[in-house]
Formats: sequence, structure tokens, C-alpha cells
Amino acid sequence: MTQPLLEVQDLHTVFSTKEGQVKAVDGVSFELNAGETLGIVGESGCGKSVTAMSIMRLQRPGRIVGGKVMFKGQDLTRISEYEMREIRGREMAMIFQDPMTSLNPVYRVGWQVGEPTRLHNGWDAKKAFSSAVSMLGRVGIPSAASRARDYPHQFSGGMRQRAMIAMGLTTTPHVLIADEPTTALDVTIQAQILDLLRHVNREFGTATILITHNLGVVAGMCQRLIVMYAGKIVEAGPTRDVFAHPKHPYTWSLLRSIPRLDADIHEPLKPIEGLPPNLIDLPGGCSFHPRCAFRVDKCSHDVPALLRVGESQQAACWVTQSGTELKGA
Amino acid sequence: MILAKYLARRFFASVIVVLGVTLITLLLMDRTRGTYVPGIDLNPSLRPEDIARLRANLGLDRPFYIWYLTWIWGVLHGDFGRSMIDGSTVMSHILDRLPNTIELTATAILVGILISIPVGVVSALRRGSKTDHTLTVVSVAGFAVPQFWLGLMLILIFSVTLEQHGLPWLPSSGAYSAYNGGDLLDRLLHLIMPATVLSFFYVSTWSRFIRSSMLEVLSQDYIRTARAKGMSERRVVYLHGLRNALIPLITLIGLELPGLVSGGLVVEVVFGWPGIGKLAFERALQYDYTTVMGVTFFATMLVIAGNLLADLLYGVLDPRIRYG
Repeated sequence: MTQPLLEVQDLHTVFSTKEGQVKAVDGVSFELNAGETLGIVGESGCGKSVTAMSIMRLQRPGRIVGGKVMFKGQDLTRISEYEMREIRGREMAMIFQDPMTSLNPVYRVGWQVGEPTRLHNGWDAKKAFSSAVSMLGRVGIPSAASRARDYPHQFSGGMRQRAMIAMGLTTTPHVLIADEPTTALDVTIQAQILDLLRHVNREFGTATILITHNLGVVAGMCQRLIVMYAGKIVEAGPTRDVFAHPKHPYTWSLLRSIPRLDADIHEPLKPIEGLPPNLIDLPGGCSFHPRCAFRVDKCSHDVPALLRVGESQQAACWVTQSGTELKGA
Repeated sequence: MILAKYLARRFFASVIVVLGVTLITLLLMDRTRGTYVPGIDLNPSLRPEDIARLRANLGLDRPFYIWYLTWIWGVLHGDFGRSMIDGSTVMSHILDRLPNTIELTATAILVGILISIPVGVVSALRRGSKTDHTLTVVSVAGFAVPQFWLGLMLILIFSVTLEQHGLPWLPSSGAYSAYNGGDLLDRLLHLIMPATVLSFFYVSTWSRFIRSSMLEVLSQDYIRTARAKGMSERRVVYLHGLRNALIPLITLIGLELPGLVSGGLVVEVVFGWPGIGKLAFERALQYDYTTVMGVTFFATMLVIAGNLLADLLYGVLDPRIRYG
């Protein structure tokens, strides 16, 4: 197997609050291969965004207190801020959840889209602007040359997200991190943006980390998938296998809580009981055990490690690691 | 042309403001005056019929609204009348004093902006640090300390005490020296203390404002976007943050312009600065109707012009603003 493009090893990111230390990312490890699309799934507050921000070292006011982020032979948690700036926007680009607020309202869209090339390639304003125009055209902005002179408020939500994607691609980065890129958009626009991301992934060969709470998005986009809960990875594996045979009760519950077109309409949805845990005061043992339908005694005392379960998956669960299948109500 | 339409609308609104302000000023003077005739009724050699004749000459025997309409009529023809105290034209008084007021307030505003922006930005970037706390204390002092007191203290220290010790000292009053004065250096020396007092207040208010505005802007998503592009923190703050943070400041400065005339008044009186604030202050005490009305008119125009300028600048800084 070839060397992964990006390797996150045992990453720990904490936030200090008055109530105590919040372990937002608590020992996360995963790999991203060149050209693939990896999904990170979880509820709000499970640490998926902080993981992404930590890779870019934009996690402030949080602090990375442990682990490594290996990229092209260097550990991104160790290099200087100056070296990190050379990575951001050049090697790794990021697009965010809310395109309405992610563009600076007082500068023209073309100017902003061209900014990474001015910063990193040393292009002058004119060259950067014309490259921005062509990139805006490639992500599907009609009459890009004139729209590039518009301000963000003159763009619709979907167009702004296209502009954000164009901004990320101007420097042809190796990694694109998309943090809930479609959550704030209308459903029809969501589909268009996802199409665009798929297209970008194919055409530019950019490896993509897609962060979402929407399992449907992951199913259509990602070869592999990571499920996070309370700052930890609870399950990882090829999307197809995870969807077919979830090996962690949390994944299993998530999949059951999705409405299905082929289900009996009288069958009620099955939400996950309880609430996500308080990250300051996590339950002992497996963080998910208070909400888990399969828990055994061991779950409330000992923290399970992320281990291989089945052919291709990994799960952090005492129950499945002992060979039990997740079935029934 | 949308802007032309906007300006036309603003012009008509301004006419109403000017009418309102001058009418209220006249009413206040008229209602507090009693039978007083400016400057002459204390003269024992005048007989009651002389006073009555003078009142008639000055138009004070008629109801105030007749006086007001007459005054408006004059203003429309560019005639602001003559001072009731010394008989010279109000226009000559104002043209005499206005440049001094503009010199003082423009300097104070400029210094205020130049100092408050970096102070506010530094406070925001180092929120909670010793620097921030120190600047907070100084700022609170800045708007807690009365301007007249600060002015007197500066005079005590930099004029009186320094002179007593035979050191170089700053002039305590006027805009220039009466003898051999009036060159640039002389005027600058006279400007230092009054401009300091006036700008101290602006720095205090505006730097606090820029601090909170900057903190708000720095938590915005587009700042995160800017950081993710890999630019230096300096570029993030000054290129992507500051312009957004300054937009509300423009409004604030526009809103504070009326205070500029009144604030300038206290400073002008303390430092004997020959500006229109001091002129209005002196003439109001003497019930010099025509001069006070003339000054009020010009001060109102200054405020309106300043506000309009602020609104236009707003549109330059923020592309989302459209006039219409």
C-alpha cells in the first residue's frame, strides 16, 4: 500500500473553559489517501469540525495537546506558524458550512477568489483576478467575468459556496476539507454542490475530507467513512460495509434513525435515546454506553479501543469486538 | 441618478433641520430674555422712550415669529444681519472665527482617528492582557474626566509650572500670539493643549468602540476563511478585519458631530480659543440674538455636512449600502 497523503495520529485538542477542560478531540487517528473522499460523520459537538480545524492548525482558542498530523513527511503540529501558512490555502484548502458569512462582505468576489494565488504564487492583481474568473467559470458560475466584480451579497447561497470552492481550488491543493458544505443550503442546491465536489475530486484529483452530519451525503460521496462520538472515532471503514453492517451501536442507531423510502409508513422513526454527553464530564467507560441498547457491564468501566472488527471495519465497542452482531430493536 | 435623488432628499431634510434648530434657539433666547435689550438697558443715561425706540429698531417689539420670519428672509438673501452688541455684521464675526474652530476640531478628529484605531485594534488583539487593561483604564478616565478640568490641569502644568521653573512652556490661551505671532510654529504651539483635550475624549470613546467592533469582526466566519487561506495574522486583521470594523465607527463619528460643536465650546472657552463655540457662548450670555442665530445656523450646517459626509463614506466602505 502506498504512503497516505495525510496521516492523523492520536490527535488531542482541548479547550479550556471555566467549568473545566473540554476534550473536543480525544485521540483521533486516521489516514487520507491521495484522491479519495473521506467522510467524517457525527452529531453537533462530536469533534468533527475541531478535528478538521486542528489539521489546519486553526483550532484556536483550542490547543493541540498531543498527537501528530503527518503531511508530506512533516508533522504539521510541530512546524512553525510561518511554514504552516505556506500549507494553508496552498496545499490544503477549506470550505465552510455557511457560505453566507464565509466571504468578506466588503471585497469583490473575484478579488477574494484570487487572493490565495496572490499570497502563495506571487501573482499580481490582474493575473490573480483573471485566474479567479476562469476558476469561477469552472465551478459553474455563469458569466463569471462580470460576476467576479460583484460583491458577496449579490450572490445567492449556492453561488457563494461555488465561489468558496473556487477560492480553495485556485492553488490546486492536494487536500480539500469541506466542513458541512451543504448544511446551510436548500436541498436542490445541496445536490448541485455535492455534484461539484465530486467533479472537483475527479478533475483535480484533490483528496477531500467531507465533514457532515448527513449520512445520505456520505453514502453518495465517500469511499470511506469515519464516525465520531464525543471526541473519539467509534467506527471507521468503507462506506458500503459500514452502511451494510455497522459495527458500533452508535452507527447502528444513526442508520436506523434515518427515514427510508422503502419502509412501512406506519413504522415510527427510531431516534437515539438520551442526549449527547457533556464533554467536560464524560461518562466513564465507553462514552456512548448510557444511550446504548447493547451495553454490557464492562461498557461503563473500561474504554474500548478502536480495533478491527469484521473484514474491513474498525470499531470501538466491547460488544462487537467480542463477536456479537448488532440486530433487533 | 440614484445618488442625485438621494442628495436632493437629504437637502430637503436638512432644510427642515435648520429651521427647527434655529427656531428653538430663538425661542429659548426670547423666553428667557424678559424685557432685556442687549447691552443698552443698563445704561443710566437712556430714557424709557429711548429704550423703546431701540427695541423697535432691533425688531424686539414684535412677536418672535415675525422676528424669525424677518431673519429667515435675510438669510435667504445671504444677509445674517448685524450684531446687536457691536453693530458689525454677523458674517464678519463668523468668518473671523470659523477657520479657528475648523483648525481645532479637524486636528482633534484627525488625531483622534489616528490614535484610536491602533489603540482599539491592539486592545482587541490582546484582549485581557495588561496592555488591554491599561488602555481600558485610560479610556474610562478619558470620558470620565471633564474637559474643562483636564484643560485647566494642562494649563497649570504646561504653562504655569513650566514657566515658573524657567522651562519652555506652552501658551495657555488664544490661537496665536498677539505680538510677533501667527506663523505656523506659533499656531501649532497654541494648538497643542486644546487639541489634546479634545482628542483625548475622542480617542477614549472611539478606541473602545473599535475594540468591541474588532472583536466582533474577528469572530466572523470570513476571518476564519482568511486565516484558512494562509495569510499572515497582520493581513487578516488589517485587510480583512479592520475595514469591516471601521464601518460602524463612521456612523459613530457622524452621530458625535453635534457633540463636536458643544465639546469644542468648553475647550474653546477654557483655552480662550477664538472659535465659533466661544463666540456663541459669549454672545448667548449677552442675548445677542443675531450673532447667536448666525452661529447656530453655521454650526447646524457643519453638523449636517459632517453627517452627510459620514453617510457617503459609509457607502464607500460598505458595498452593501445603496442610496435610494
